[in-house]
Amino acid sequence: MAQVMMKDLNKKYDEVHAVKDVNLHIRDKEFIVLVGPSGCGKSTTLRMVAGLEEITAGEITIGDRVVNDLPPKDRDIAMVFQNYALYPHMTVYDNMAFGLKMRKFPKTEIAKRVGEAAEILGIQELLKRKPRQLSGGQRQRVAVGRAIVRHPQVFLFDEPLSNLDAKLRVQMRVELKRLHDRLETTAIYVTHDQVEAMTLGDRVVVMKDGWIQQVGEPLELYGRPANRFVAGFIGSPSMNFVEMTIAEANGALWADTPGIRVKVPPASASRLGPYKGQKVTLGIRPEDLHVATGSDSADYSFDTVVDVVEPLGSEILLDVKAGSNVIVARVDPTVRAKLHDKMRLSLHPERVHFFDQKTELAI
Amino acid sequence: MGRARDVRLAYLLLAPALLMLSTALAYPVGWEVWTSFTDLSPLKDGATAYVGLANYSRLLSDAAFWQAAFVTVGYAVVTSVAKLALGLGFALLLVRPFRGRVLVFLAVFLPWAYPAGVSVIGWYWTLNPPTTTAYAPFMGHLKYVVDGTLGTGAWAFTSVILFNIWRGSSFIGVLLLAGINAIPPELFECAVLESKSPWRRFWLVTVPLLKPFLALAVFLSLTSAFADLANVWMLTAGRIVFPVIGTHAYFLAIKAGQFGPASALSLTVVPVLLGVLLVLFRLFDPLRREAT
Repeated sequence: MAQVMMKDLNKKYDEVHAVKDVNLHIRDKEFIVLVGPSGCGKSTTLRMVAGLEEITAGEITIGDRVVNDLPPKDRDIAMVFQNYALYPHMTVYDNMAFGLKMRKFPKTEIAKRVGEAAEILGIQELLKRKPRQLSGGQRQRVAVGRAIVRHPQVFLFDEPLSNLDAKLRVQMRVELKRLHDRLETTAIYVTHDQVEAMTLGDRVVVMKDGWIQQVGEPLELYGRPANRFVAGFIGSPSMNFVEMTIAEANGALWADTPGIRVKVPPASASRLGPYKGQKVTLGIRPEDLHVATGSDSADYSFDTVVDVVEPLGSEILLDVKAGSNVIVARVDPTVRAKLHDKMRLSLHPERVHFFDQKTELAI
Repeated sequence: MGRARDVRLAYLLLAPALLMLSTALAYPVGWEVWTSFTDLSPLKDGATAYVGLANYSRLLSDAAFWQAAFVTVGYAVVTSVAKLALGLGFALLLVRPFRGRVLVFLAVFLPWAYPAGVSVIGWYWTLNPPTTTAYAPFMGHLKYVVDGTLGTGAWAFTSVILFNIWRGSSFIGVLLLAGINAIPPELFECAVLESKSPWRRFWLVTVPLLKPFLALAVFLSLTSAFADLANVWMLTAGRIVFPVIGTHAYFLAIKAGQFGPASALSLTVVPVLLGVLLVLFRLFDPLRREAT
């Protein structure tokens, strides 16, 4: 039963301001993911919750206790590290029992908890081995097991899957999700991988340069990114951005740039009114573009030339040029396209995003 | 045919190292072993005779040998324990950042970085100031008290021990610092999350993780103490009251011209050191495979 509150949290090193005014309310039993490029402050934030970094300013509350001055041991957290941090001189059993032994739990209780965790993770037969005799995936399970046995109020995960190969990463991702559903413990998970963030998080916190950019449920971040950075960071392949001028013609607003001219969808028109005559950034996801057919409105279509074809099997990525703009479209695998083919594309009017050029905020 | 050529190439590539080892190591050691079975002496006319184990058996009944052996073991153990403790302290001190760490690092590192000869003179002058200083009378008094209590030469030998510790703990400190830095920091952080007591963390995490480096430090320290001649000789300028194996062998060979007994004497440390090496490998070899 623990919520985690961060209030005006700041971390300054000598010259680097790593975390800036972070305010975050993590609900009890919530799985929250901090995501962002390296150096965005996500790991530092996590380490402040753990107590491995001192808090420069602000307050962290776990449950109903302010933990700023509590030593890590008394914060009732358990952490899983990126490189597993297993002790090479201890067996799997001893590694998992380590925290409990340090806390002087009775032997029978330790054996019971380690047994339970090993069963949950399916590593019973590994208990007598040393870490170096395990594969990467097994090591990561042991590291998770070491956290589980502690029955902590909060799990902290610092990029726990980054050292695994792609296939194992996907598998462990599913296992972690299942585990969280089963244990119902608050979890804070740090990753630079937006797919991990989207698939694991009840809510996702996107960070950049020490600032929180947006907090929201995965589909909220995907559908309504608060600014250009979040829009480009979430989703793969990334959203296309095109600089366009807003102009009025025939009683409607149009976004215009050499090679592309599309109508501003009615839903956005009122908000874009003040931008008449100014430049804005139009954002459109590759999956919100398709090859134009007769039924598509000419208002939302434009001509392109195919530059690169990437057939992925379930879909085809087309890099196309419209004027001097390079745009990626994710199209149906039945589309037959060759280099230099002319192709008319249509965009999904309700899924167009506009961003202010100065503030980069969504309009 | 490709394989034969590979093998030939492998030997060719090994040749310089083998040549180096055989001339600089194998030949002298072989010569010494052979000499220890003879009565070779530059002071003796006529042919050198094979004497079997006579040189060794004479050693065992020689009180001077046992005294030297006793002093050597004491010297090695005392200095090794002190160097390990101090070196570990230095390493733990220097592993965290703090203001002035560079200066402390230099202070720790320099005694070892300077050539032994220079360090010895620095040490000698520290204990026996060449000019009148505020503490010169105190040092003189100290020597008088130590020699008066423990016998003549005690102060000289104490200073040899202190010098060895001073210079050796510098080396071991740097070695262990490198060792700690080679351990992923998460292993220490993980322990911080579980225990408030630095003492418990030190014994349960730091020491086991450092074992390979500690083993190397122990071995190097014991080896250098067992084979020590230079430190003792330079610090006391040859006025040796408490001979160790090294100085005793030097006397026998260089001053007395008894190459055979001197060789036998210096070879007595070999089985001891081999034994130590074996034990350390058994205890600490990180690559040892457990049966699964």
